[in-house]
Amino acid sequence: MNKKTILTVLSVVLLFLFLWYGDGHLSTYAMRIWEEVGIFLMLAASYNLINGVTGQFSLEPNGFVAIGAYVTAILILTPAQKEAMFIITPMVPWLQNLHMSFFPALIIGGLVTAFVGFLLGFPVFRVRGDYLAIVTLGFGLTIRVVSNNTVPITNGALGLKGLPTYTTIWWCWGWAVFAMIVIMRMVNSEFGRAMKAVRDDEDAAIAMGINTFWIKMTAFITAAFFEGVGGGLLASLITIISPTMFTFFLTFELLIIIVVGGLGSMTGTALATIVVIWGSEILRVVEQPMDIFGLHIPGIPGMRMVVFSVLLILIMIFAREGIMGQKEFSWDSLFNFFKKNKVAQK
Amino acid sequence: MNIALKCDKITMKFGGLTAVNEFSAEIREHMIFGLIGPNGAGKTTAFNVITGNLKPTSGDVNFFGKSIVGLKPYKIVSMGMARTFQNIRLFSNLTVLENILTGFHHKLQYNIVDTVLRTPRYYKHEKEMRNTARELLKSVGLLDKADLKASGLPYGERREVEIARALATGPKLLLLDEPAAGMNPQETLNLMYFIQEVKESFNLTVFLIEHDMKFVMNLCETIAVLDHGVKIAEGNPEEIQKNPDVIRAYLGDIDA
Ligand SMILES: Nc1ncnc2c1ncn2[C@@H]1O[C@H](COP(=O)(O)OP(=O)(O)O)[C@@H](O)[C@H]1O
Ligand SMILES: [Mg+2]
Repeated sequence: MNKKTILTVLSVVLLFLFLWYGDGHLSTYAMRIWEEVGIFLMLAASYNLINGVTGQFSLEPNGFVAIGAYVTAILILTPAQKEAMFIITPMVPWLQNLHMSFFPALIIGGLVTAFVGFLLGFPVFRVRGDYLAIVTLGFGLTIRVVSNNTVPITNGALGLKGLPTYTTIWWCWGWAVFAMIVIMRMVNSEFGRAMKAVRDDEDAAIAMGINTFWIKMTAFITAAFFEGVGGGLLASLITIISPTMFTFFLTFELLIIIVVGGLGSMTGTALATIVVIWGSEILRVVEQPMDIFGLHIPGIPGMRMVVFSVLLILIMIFAREGIMGQKEFSWDSLFNFFKKNKVAQK
Repeated sequence: MNIALKCDKITMKFGGLTAVNEFSAEIREHMIFGLIGPNGAGKTTAFNVITGNLKPTSGDVNFFGKSIVGLKPYKIVSMGMARTFQNIRLFSNLTVLENILTGFHHKLQYNIVDTVLRTPRYYKHEKEMRNTARELLKSVGLLDKADLKASGLPYGERREVEIARALATGPKLLLLDEPAAGMNPQETLNLMYFIQEVKESFNLTVFLIEHDMKFVMNLCETIAVLDHGVKIAEGNPEEIQKNPDVIRAYLGDIDA
């Protein structure tokens, strides 16, 4: 192991020490937000892989997260719970009797979503052109309609309630760190270079002998897997899921995170996730009823979305590159930064 | 002498427009073959057909004895054909070295599992590829540019990197689409030496499209002339310069 690997390992250890400390000392509310940050980090890194690194504009997260959430929820609910919950139409028997622990349920949630990613990506990436965004946007809406109407599987509009609360800070950050390692290793390899080549110039990538179809599929399916797992974690964190829960707002929030962090930069994504998720909590204020200079403003639901939209527009105008641009944080750049400062002081 | 590339009456129609009309040519191994013609004559289209980017309406392309019509471009690259583009198309956010590395993609020797687990195989081949890429950059005199972003280079060097990147795929035949376009006379002269050197040291056959007459006449053994998609002449530089049809195709506008 070289010095830089040791530093990276050390910072991950520090992260977990912070979480361990927080688990005992921070409020339940604060820890709940940190759990969300972990899940969103995994979702945003995945989303950045297909959008930022591979340059394929896609709007898949809310649909894919919903699939992962439903699959995991159905698998971790006990047969008795499911029987009690499906009051309109009984559940499909084999699904009702299917029951397993959290980890395999998450993996299956991820794999099912990855398979859906495969089915969706296959026809879309066969042809050139920007169909991905419109197909994935439509898919998100379709999932909502489907989950509303496949009552024997999803319990329709009633949703699934009383999910066991398995999701802890350790599950969230364990997965977040694992996803970051997998995705960053992918990005820093010939596969990542090929993804960036497709982003920068698809014709040239083809001329270099890159099978651009499979490169896009690899990015998309990997993203789908982690988005599915993230859905499972969210389901067990919130304990209730319903067709209306995973809306386009989720995708929009992730889009803001990856734009703020810098398209293609995973370390930028990590920073931006913390900023946006905590910012979004603090911004709850704007949706509360307020009195400003004697003027009463009733609570406006969706006001945060407006603030986010304005934020996104401002970034597009003034800071197109986001926090990190396409660069990654590296220990070398940190050393160089301090070296430069030292020289400057002399 | 082996025939590297044989175009047999290739025709490419876009709707009502016949961009290339029954184009035939034979390119012997180790020669530099030039294709010239006025703007819009169909030269780039002919390249796109040869490299598999376009499927010809009719006709056949033979590469070292094998018909390659209908094969995917990446397949044709792995058979030993590489190209550059009329408007330089580097991966602008990658470094020069990373641009070169993409050329090894089609013979990548580790898979996605090696990548994620960082197996010894990953480290071995990644290191090998980087060394080979550095050697390649050294042999074309660009090693000191290895870690610069491709978009930051001057125009002439960007073209050289693009050619080096094509070389990384390990070609037997190199197709260059107007390599000297947009270059000043000094850059053009440098490029001429560059192509000649590269051709010798990499043991290549070169098929190039060019507008700059002096460039083509100095570099190519055989030249074909395309006008409105039709080949109107083929011969050595002297023959082409004297050919009345060619003079008319190039200077016809002046009479009008
Ligand atoms: N993909 C395409 N679709 C339709 N028309 C095309 C396409 N590519 C080229 N053309 C047309 O074919 C003709 C030849 O173009 P091109 O091969 O680029 O000429 P050259 O490279 O000799 O300047 C032009 O009229 C051009 O507009
Ligand atoms: Mg052209």
